[in-house]
Amino acid sequence: MLDANMPTDQVCLGRKRPVPSCPNPLFLQWLTELRDSAKEKGLKTQYVYQKAINSLKKYPLPLKNGKEAKILQNFGDGICKILDERLQKHYRENGQGPQFSADGSDAPIHLAPSFQRSNMASSKQMEAPTNEPSGNLSEHMKRTQREVRKEKGTKKKREYVPQKRSGGYAVLLTLYRHAQMPGSKGFMFRNELQTEAQPLCEKSFTVPDLGSKYTAWSSVSTLIQKDLLVKTHNPARYSLTDQGLALAEKLDSEETGMDKEHVEQMSEEEHARDGPDVVDLTLEEEEEQQEEKERCRSSKSLERPVPALSVNQARGQISESDAAGKPQTLETGRAAMGWHLPPGSYEIVLCVDVIETTGGSSGRKQELVKELQRNCVTFDIRKLNVGDFLWVAREKVTPVPGQLRPPVGKELVLDYIIERKRMDDLCGSIIDGRFREQKFRLKRCGLRKPIYLVEECGSAAAHLSIPESTLQQAIANTQVVDGFFVKRVQDVKESAAYLTIMTRYLQKLYHNCTLFCRSRELEGDGGDESEQTENLSCSLMTFTEFNYGAIKNKCQTVREVFARQLMQISGVSGDKAAAVLEHYSTVSSLLQAYDQCSSESEKEKLLSSIKYGKLKRNLGPALSRTIYQLYCTHGPLS
Amino acid sequence: MPAVQRANTWEISDSEEESDLNKPSSSSSGEKKKRRRRTREEVQEEQENRRAAREKQRQEKNKLKEEKLEEQQRRREAAVRVSLFKPENFIKSLTLQIHAALLRDAGCDVLLGTLDGLQWKNCIENQGLPNSISWTRPALQTEDEAKNGVIEEDQVLMVISHNEFEDMVMSHKTETNQQAPIGVVYEEAESLLQHLYKYLTEASRKFVTVLVISHQQRSGSGDEDHFDFHLSQHHLDTEALLVHLQLYWNVSVNFLFGWQEVTDHVVAVTKAVSKRPYKALCGEPDLGFCMDGSWSAGVRVDRDGRGLTQVWTRQIQQLNRVSPALAKAVTSVYPSPSLLLQAYEQQPSDEERRRLLADLTVVGGAKERRVGPELSGRIHRLLTSQNPHLMLD
Repeated sequence: MLDANMPTDQVCLGRKRPVPSCPNPLFLQWLTELRDSAKEKGLKTQYVYQKAINSLKKYPLPLKNGKEAKILQNFGDGICKILDERLQKHYRENGQGPQFSADGSDAPIHLAPSFQRSNMASSKQMEAPTNEPSGNLSEHMKRTQREVRKEKGTKKKREYVPQKRSGGYAVLLTLYRHAQMPGSKGFMFRNELQTEAQPLCEKSFTVPDLGSKYTAWSSVSTLIQKDLLVKTHNPARYSLTDQGLALAEKLDSEETGMDKEHVEQMSEEEHARDGPDVVDLTLEEEEEQQEEKERCRSSKSLERPVPALSVNQARGQISESDAAGKPQTLETGRAAMGWHLPPGSYEIVLCVDVIETTGGSSGRKQELVKELQRNCVTFDIRKLNVGDFLWVAREKVTPVPGQLRPPVGKELVLDYIIERKRMDDLCGSIIDGRFREQKFRLKRCGLRKPIYLVEECGSAAAHLSIPESTLQQAIANTQVVDGFFVKRVQDVKESAAYLTIMTRYLQKLYHNCTLFCRSRELEGDGGDESEQTENLSCSLMTFTEFNYGAIKNKCQTVREVFARQLMQISGVSGDKAAAVLEHYSTVSSLLQAYDQCSSESEKEKLLSSIKYGKLKRNLGPALSRTIYQLYCTHGPLS
Repeated sequence: MPAVQRANTWEISDSEEESDLNKPSSSSSGEKKKRRRRTREEVQEEQENRRAAREKQRQEKNKLKEEKLEEQQRRREAAVRVSLFKPENFIKSLTLQIHAALLRDAGCDVLLGTLDGLQWKNCIENQGLPNSISWTRPALQTEDEAKNGVIEEDQVLMVISHNEFEDMVMSHKTETNQQAPIGVVYEEAESLLQHLYKYLTEASRKFVTVLVISHQQRSGSGDEDHFDFHLSQHHLDTEALLVHLQLYWNVSVNFLFGWQEVTDHVVAVTKAVSKRPYKALCGEPDLGFCMDGSWSAGVRVDRDGRGLTQVWTRQIQQLNRVSPALAKAVTSVYPSPSLLLQAYEQQPSDEERRRLLADLTVVGGAKERRVGPELSGRIHRLLTSQNPHLMLD
């Protein structure tokens, strides 16, 4: 959008070969000169300059000085210093203020054009080390940005084209290419999609930029809002809508074109800019503040243009598998997941849910953490979406010289997960229904050895609102009916001791194991029986997949909400709702069926002979009538 | 073949038989003559055909009746079968197997007395895991895994005294100190722990819970500092055994005070065991969410449909992150699903349909709010989508 302000006239530097327009013509010229002279002397530095030139060509924004160019890939201190020296020289020769490039055309050199136009480019500002744009600038840009938006908006219905190498761009393109593969399943899972889209995107799909909570994945929700993408099922499957398919096809052909004609790259980009409204999809937030933040981000995402090479590589892989002729969908997904951790390359770490460490009456929760620390247990506090404790096998990573932060280690979750309950918690959760809900979620979290840790707190159970025998029955049911392992302890200290010794035992158990990564999305929960009953399971989920899958109330499908809705009528149990859903799985299909009935009495009886449950009993006329009344009453309900 | 065909035609006009017969008398004389001229044979044949048709009809009716009866019978049988699985009935088919060694402890009388009082079947066994209590039930015809028509439940209790447990802790400690490979059973060792290992090696699917009877209330880990070292060392050894049993043998240990608590535990496990078959039979369908919770208690609706307003509001609340006030805001403006759907139809474009509810104000709460475009879109998708698997969030 910034680019809309750019002068569209092509800058010609008066060479034989026309150079595509570049917002930093002087830098480009100087670098080219440097390269050529290095080439003449046969110096290796020519390649360094060439790389810098390539990066600069791809950078669409004007740079104020050499120092600022450091954000570009292939720009080291040396080059930046040279550029600044030449810039100073240039200023001395040509004076400060609005600059003109060497050939006399009035293209800007190193200033944002908006600066010039608003006549804010006082020499003072120019001299100041311009590490960041002044408030005025961004204010102004925002304004123009909005104006541009308005203009475009009034023209016709806006067409969205995600910015190159943004999250949305990569997702669309990946889904498109995936759909083109023979034997494609027509959708992709989250993990799969992230892994395969990553090479096409500059930002990480999983790790947010510093100071931001957004990842490239955030733009997926925008794509869904724009009807380009649909998300179905649980675990989620992503596929393109017709609209999305058309857009992705366009993006793909542009991308391919760009690869073929490397020289044309710039003009191509230019074209994309002039064409339909290029919007970073993440820019769609309403608040202005947000808008500014986003804008910073979108320009940040341009900082390190990824060389086209990485795209070629990614494509190469895909076309290779194409050549093999076999359906590759699973393979590629699995290849991305199919890594392992050899013995010794990881450590077993206890993870404690953050809730278990904060709050609580009279600091009893801190007590657990203190005990664990006293026992020298390696543990990590994090937000667990289900359970209170679990263990991960964390890859050992060593810091890379020259990088401040060590790379992120891979993590697999062991199959043991602990839900800790004091007797009074247990009592409370039985009363408000959380007890069953929690067990339900523990059972389907994908970890195969759920443990119920019951802290009995001595005689505290005596004055609870549920009789002790009922609580004991609930615990027995948890073990016998739900198949959980029940561990009873007296108090927090014992809990800590238990966790400590469990951690040590697990460290011993997994001392010599190669751990494999399995994905629920691709393989389901099934697995073979033997694997599940064995003491030691070595094919494990990643922590990210586990925790993502365990988010409470994360996603509802149409079917699920419809079932819940039917159950709001007294007398409609889960199995009755399921029976109705077997015939009419959406609200609209039920309404359609009502529409096709020839008489009101037929409508009334539509559902009465649906069979439900194991006994295949009829739903009955009464319920059928009630549901009919709910959906077919034309006026207000009573 | 022709006979059948004719019969069929007769069958169809069967209901008008009577009027057919009356007809000739009221029709023209020429026709009457024609009729009279028909040979006797013809009349006879006709009558026979009619008879055959009636016969056939009767047969079919009977068949239908029989089928209905059969169906009823089948349902009744199914219901009986299901009622056998109901916990209160199923518990009567369970037999508790009590190992003879337990009778040596006088406290066991509490258990036996209680079981008799409950009229639960039990028998004394001298085989299997020493000091154990387990459950069997008669096999159903469908289950062929049964030996002697009896199926063993997977739950097994092992009742031991505190001293016996201390021996276990010691033998486990020496075993691990000797660096013996874990799980190797020494023939010469006769401790209960070895018995347990041996038993579990043969019956790997069993789930054993060791009940340790102490005759004093078990106190928490000592608070006084001078006790701390001694206790913690002992505690550590105990905990090490417990974790070992859990991780390698799936055995849990429960410390109980006296035989009364043991009895209570046995009763609780028996009840839990009795609940499983019914749950497996009539288990709730997997709709991807937990069926239990306050949300699932439906609203009473009478014959005239009174109560449906509340159902409709609560239906909207079933979407994630929808408060009662928010749902009310929607349903007070559109007091039935069909009124909302009508309103959708009147909108000129999809975009407007999606945004229909966005500007409704939510009453209540500290400050005025709107329903918002996000929820508006979700409700629209829910009510109009053809794809049951479409994600709403």
